[in-house]
Amino acid sequence: MKFRTLLAIVAGVLPGSLAAVVLFLTIYSWPAIRFNGLEFAFRNTWNLGNLYADPVTLGGVSIQPGAHYGILFLIVGTLLSTLIALLLAVPVGVGAAIFLAEAVSGKFRLWISFCVELLAAIPSVVFGLWGYVVLIPFLAHHVFPLLAGTLGLAIPIFGGETGSGYGLLTAGVVLSLMVVPLIAATLRDAIVVQPATIREASMGLGATRFETVWKVVLPNVNKVLIGATFLALGRALGETMAVLMVSGNALNYLPPNIYAPISTMAAFIVSQLDSALQDPTEMAVRSLAEIALVLCIISVIVNGLARLMLLAWSPGRRLAR
Amino acid sequence: MSVASIPAGTVSATVPKLHKMRMARRLFSSLGWATTGFCLALLSILMLWILAVVAIRGASAMSLSLFTTITQGNGGGLLNAIEGTVVLSVGAMLLAVPFGVGAGIYISEYRQTSWATAIRFLADVLVGVPSIVMGYFGYVTMIDYLGWGFSVAAGSIILAIICLPYICRTTELALEQVPNALREAGYALGAGEWRVIMRIILPSVLPGILTGIMLALAISIGETAPLLYTAGWSNYLWDGRLTHSPIGYLTYAVYTFINEPFAEANALAYAAAFLVTSFVLLINVLSRFVFDRHHQ
Amino acid sequence: MSTRTGRVNRLSNAAVAAIAAGAVLVGSAAYAAEIRLLETGSSLLYPLFNLWVPDYQKKNPDVQITTQSTGSGTGISQAISGIAQIGASDAYLSNAQMKSNPGMLNIPLAISSQMVNYNVPGLNNDHLKLSGPVLAGIYEGKIKYWDDAAIAQINPGVKLPHNGIVPVHRTDGSGDTFIFTQYLSFSTPDWSNSPGYGTTVSWPAVQGGIGAVGNPGMVNATKGTPYSISYIGISFKSATDSAGLGEAMLENKDGKFVLPDDTTVSAAVSEMTAKTPADERVSLIFAPGPQSYPIINYEYAIIKQKQTSADTAKALKAFLNWAIDPNGGGASHYLKAVGFVALPDATVKLSQKQIDSIQ
Repeated sequence: MKFRTLLAIVAGVLPGSLAAVVLFLTIYSWPAIRFNGLEFAFRNTWNLGNLYADPVTLGGVSIQPGAHYGILFLIVGTLLSTLIALLLAVPVGVGAAIFLAEAVSGKFRLWISFCVELLAAIPSVVFGLWGYVVLIPFLAHHVFPLLAGTLGLAIPIFGGETGSGYGLLTAGVVLSLMVVPLIAATLRDAIVVQPATIREASMGLGATRFETVWKVVLPNVNKVLIGATFLALGRALGETMAVLMVSGNALNYLPPNIYAPISTMAAFIVSQLDSALQDPTEMAVRSLAEIALVLCIISVIVNGLARLMLLAWSPGRRLAR
Repeated sequence: MSVASIPAGTVSATVPKLHKMRMARRLFSSLGWATTGFCLALLSILMLWILAVVAIRGASAMSLSLFTTITQGNGGGLLNAIEGTVVLSVGAMLLAVPFGVGAGIYISEYRQTSWATAIRFLADVLVGVPSIVMGYFGYVTMIDYLGWGFSVAAGSIILAIICLPYICRTTELALEQVPNALREAGYALGAGEWRVIMRIILPSVLPGILTGIMLALAISIGETAPLLYTAGWSNYLWDGRLTHSPIGYLTYAVYTFINEPFAEANALAYAAAFLVTSFVLLINVLSRFVFDRHHQ
Repeated sequence: MSTRTGRVNRLSNAAVAAIAAGAVLVGSAAYAAEIRLLETGSSLLYPLFNLWVPDYQKKNPDVQITTQSTGSGTGISQAISGIAQIGASDAYLSNAQMKSNPGMLNIPLAISSQMVNYNVPGLNNDHLKLSGPVLAGIYEGKIKYWDDAAIAQINPGVKLPHNGIVPVHRTDGSGDTFIFTQYLSFSTPDWSNSPGYGTTVSWPAVQGGIGAVGNPGMVNATKGTPYSISYIGISFKSATDSAGLGEAMLENKDGKFVLPDDTTVSAAVSEMTAKTPADERVSLIFAPGPQSYPIINYEYAIIKQKQTSADTAKALKAFLNWAIDPNGGGASHYLKAVGFVALPDATVKLSQKQIDSIQ
């Protein structure tokens, strides 16, 4: 066999794995997809049915009586926690990138950049540990009551019961910390490689240094910012352990305010697999596989879009985690 | 010439306005620097906060017996978890490195083919598939369907798939640095593709590839979610079997033992978090060192 | 060129060293060919296994038993799939599970009870009185505040705060959920219609309600959440006590409010265990009698009758026989430490019969 052909086959492992993941999840969850139908995404009922009753046959499939599978609360929890994460992470990431690229110089910049990137390397379970041990008591006792007492008076979603500290905002804060290095590092790289000529032109016209960065350089790299934001989005959507440890694992209800417990698709798969395995008809495990499939497809789309956008900028200089 | 077009009378009125504008712009710039500086400071403080919590609580939970004894219920040591993390990661690397490097060579050296373009793109997409989805896939296929049980094989294979795209893409980036002249010289001397790539090009970029492998290693050490339902957990040292034998790993100890209401168990969790974080950061620093030396 | 080969050589040396180190690890791990048993499941049984296993291994060094606290759901499903040899569970298998997995045994090892704990600042030493219908109301979201009339009525003279109740439930498949929801089902017709009972139930959507993993997670969540309420296995009593949680008196079938202790649990045992069938799948919940504590249950080892090898079966039988032996694992110093009660003689005989059938 030619060396080239051998390499081409070896390289096929990558698309092969991706295809296998999607294929097996689809095959495995197929009975659930048919049973749950479209209502899967629009109902707030994750109900395994009466596990100690005998299975019944409904629409040609065998299920436990009363079984219903709807994951609206998971979709909402996933989207809202991701949204909060991005709302916090994008401004901070942009700010840090600007300061790193423009105000810090020389060796110092290298070191601080490296430290920011190290933040991205900290394992997710360690973020979860910190969130669980430090952040939850801190937010629940000091920050949330303060927020509810000030912002809460004006904006309803910040009002109401501040709860236990496990919940939407906490999950959002932890997620934002996990994705902010991604945004900061990618954007900093893009700012640094912007040609000096556009800066000189802007400064020559009398703009201050900050105005130059803000009004000339930044608009030039907005594609990178969007791409990096999408990458962060992809990571936040699929993040599991840290969210699992701080989200409160809400079941079957939508959060009434920003402090309320939630659950996300990724965390739910971990927390529910062993419960689902109790269902002798296997419909519950297959419905969990359907969640995994939905999550997989969403992240494939989000990541595909992000890469296409970053591709327009330069051929993938950075590997995003 | 624009000055000439301004009526004489307006000039005196414009000067204070210009002055005011300059003040506003100055203020804007100062505020801008302050805000962006604050963002960076915030990030640094939070990072130090996390590391300090892990380091202080972890260091106080450190003892020699952690490295010499196995976990017993809520106490004991972490030897089984440390060994398991090493075994799983080494297993993942043994699988991922040949395939990842091979794929990287292919998409770099044959970049013009559409297969290479497709693989490059799909590698990037594969990076984005959540690790828990990978874990669930592993559970459905290897644990359930093939009946392997919680095992080193299942855990390592899933970790390897997660690491593949990183190794592939860093290998490609490293190979891009090789000047074409080197390739041409090789071919001109009559060497075949195999010889040119394996004997000439690859050795010259080994540090770059090593950087990628080290980063992938760091990722595999830090993963939890994909292992929960593939590797399982064991209190004992690995018995050498690839299937039908669960194995411990450090991240499991962090997740499980922090949840126990016993101080002894929490200490194990902190110690495990300290070890995992140290390993991962150390590997990152080392890989940066390798990378920098190569690029000097 | 020579420096390059030098570097490559150094790298390959490093690789050889790494592989050698790996081989040493593997070698040291595989030094002895013992029988390995994996116990996984109920976090309620976990503390007992942690007392049992080190002692058992001192006498039987050729058997290695890994203990894992994952939840009864995991215990059941991993015993069925053969991943674990011992599935620890506070719940027995359902009829449907028995039918689709013939040859599964439900072997009681001890009798446990369950506390209902709460964290109401100022009242945690007062043993609030709660009943099945009130708990059902709380977990259904119909009783929202601690000073609700239904709670005030059975706690005359107690100054209850007007704070929202945060019900905490288990997110993992759990025998504690099974016995707690059985108590609610048997005492409250409304609850028995829906959600009913099981190792996992569809918890009614209660605003603010949170899920926790395992008994440890329940203790921590209740401790960290003022005005929360939860159900926690008796083997975690030392943990709930040191966390300063309140322990409720529960209403039994005769309308009396009781705490779980030796007297009340034994009273319930003597009422209920006589009707244990040969396969030992039976609920002990909501016993009659003025003294009886309403939430007690058998702690099961879920075992596959047909083991993969004769050696495994032999080791498994030996361990299980030891575990229910009143002079072995059934000795009171083990059970007392975790708040369990020994099996009555009749049940021990039934369990022995089931253990003998393991192959």
